Amino acid sequence: MNKSNELEKSKGVVLFAFNSDTVDYVKIADTASKLIRNYLKLPITLITDNAATPKFEYDRVIKVDVKDGNYRLDKQNNLIKWRNFDRYSVYDLSPYDETLLLDTDYLVMDNSLLRLFEQPFDYRLQYRMQTPTGISEEEMGPASLPLIWATVVLFRKTPKSRLFFNLVKRIQQNYGYYKVLYNMRDQSYRNDHAFSIANIILNGYSIDKHTSIPWPMLTVKDDIKSLSIKNNLLVIRTHEQAIVTIQQDLHIMDKEYLQTDECKNFVKELCNE
Amino acid sequence: MTVTLNNIVDQIKQSTDYQINRRLLREKIQTDLHFSYNNGLFKSTPELISFVTSWPYKELFLEDTYQNPILIKKLEFLNLAIQHYQTQMNLWHTQYEQIKRIRKI
Repeated sequence: MNKSNELEKSKGVVLFAFNSDTVDYVKIADTASKLIRNYLKLPITLITDNAATPKFEYDRVIKVDVKDGNYRLDKQNNLIKWRNFDRYSVYDLSPYDETLLLDTDYLVMDNSLLRLFEQPFDYRLQYRMQTPTGISEEEMGPASLPLIWATVVLFRKTPKSRLFFNLVKRIQQNYGYYKVLYNMRDQSYRNDHAFSIANIILNGYSIDKHTSIPWPMLTVKDDIKSLSIKNNLLVIRTHEQAIVTIQQDLHIMDKEYLQTDECKNFVKELCNE
Repeated sequence: MTVTLNNIVDQIKQSTDYQINRRLLREKIQTDLHFSYNNGLFKSTPELISFVTSWPYKELFLEDTYQNPILIKKLEFLNLAIQHYQTQMNLWHTQYEQIKRIRKI
């Protein structure tokens, strides 16, 4: 290895996947990782638990003990286990100098995220989200502060980033207090909320656009019927409508669809497998 | 008869909304108009290109998307900005024409 390569900072993607009773997050991570490798061409690390058996060839698999104790309501209003604690540990667990932390339900379909690595930053978060009906500006609760999405997080190992993830840890550990303080709507612990609060505190109790990814994330909240590519356009069919748009990254809330063979085949087709 | 009617209802539900597609396409092109230069992130716009073109010196400092002052070498930057602008606008036009053709699918 020559000297310039030695000095070059390592970049990579980290995914967290802990299976619950109803969702096979590891399977979803396997599918999402194919797209990440195809479009971003970055090494991928999966952080999961000891029971997981990932099928994708990750560059690294880190097995950790994960805390239980968080629950959320599913579409049928059933209370289900949600193993989303300890996301802050990514700072210590990530083997990369520059890490792109993605949720497994975020399908990478172009290389636009690579542009973000080229600027000076400590960390970047997804401030804006758009759905097919328009830009969605959500708050954490009534008369609360804006919600920032932890779906896409980019960070470098710097003192400010360390402080940020330490704050996320503190917020998770004292979530009852912060939930009341910030008048949150959701009762369950959400990483989006913890990241939003940590970001606000770290920026002097203000919203600093310097930490934002400057474009919105396209999110489909409805159940997906199918995804396809026709004439270089991405066709997203829900049960209510079809959306035709240019190929781009997509955040899909419908975890059931992400586990289907149809989704797997769509990804295979995109990756020319 | 009911089956046919249900099929029609299903097909109508599956129709696409031209205005939504048009807006999403525009939003994506606005994203892709961003380009990196000298550790800064810029959005290639007619205003940016006009301003840099009219600048009388070889170098200048420009504020990027993140409100940082970035040192710009006029010609180098201009070539990049114009090239990027043209690529994205051509893509927008092509995709826009396709979306117009499939107003209902």
